[in-house]
Amino acid sequence: MADVVTYFMTALGLGFYLAGTVAVIRFPDTYSRLHALTKADNVGLGFLIVGIAFQADSWMVVARLALVWGLALMAAGITAQLIARTALQRQSP
Amino acid sequence: MKKHAASARRVIFFLVLWFVLSEGEALLVGAAAVPAASWLSLRLLPATRPIHLLPLLAMTPNFLWRSLLGGLDVGRRALDPRMPINPGWIRLPVDLPDGGRVALGGELSLMPGTLAAGTDRGRLLVHVLDKDQDHARMIRIEERRLGSVSG
Repeated sequence: MADVVTYFMTALGLGFYLAGTVAVIRFPDTYSRLHALTKADNVGLGFLIVGIAFQADSWMVVARLALVWGLALMAAGITAQLIARTALQRQSP
Repeated sequence: MKKHAASARRVIFFLVLWFVLSEGEALLVGAAAVPAASWLSLRLLPATRPIHLLPLLAMTPNFLWRSLLGGLDVGRRALDPRMPINPGWIRLPVDLPDGGRVALGGELSLMPGTLAAGTDRGRLLVHVLDKDQDHARMIRIEERRLGSVSG
């Protein structure tokens, strides 16, 4: 049962990564691409983490996985702003 | 006295972080890393306003749900053959301190259709994927929620 959840959740997560990558290729400018990178990858990582958590043998591992996601989330939110602001200052399209 | 309480909170935060990361092992490394991280953190981000945990917890489910919607929204636009995006900019005044503004910007970057790109004379610059949607109202709501977390 746990394995089925893991398969399903990680596949879902990879789907989001795929959509995010397609957006980076198709979207016309830096800012639109950043939308995709932060949002789709954040959700992708979330599903990946939930999937992996079903393989964990202790709550400590689950807590650590949640922490990984939380820190990645914060990093994504801050990096996106930094890149967007820098692109704006340099007037890149 | 207030300053000591703020420092204590920071130390407790890193202590918990270390414990989760190390599963209680490598205590010697933690004994050095926790004070060092706390010191650096207080230096780089002096404790001016405490963060209230309850409002933070209260806004978490909505945040998770909306960031899921954000991922779905951008994924759908990317995979749709017609690629329905209509990007543009909005700018609006934000009544939050510096740290709060960064937090709001980070949050907006994970919400559907918005991406913060810093501030311009006190006004938040937000890139939107679809100009025709009413993002300003949503940003106001998030701003109010974040305002209750810190202060």
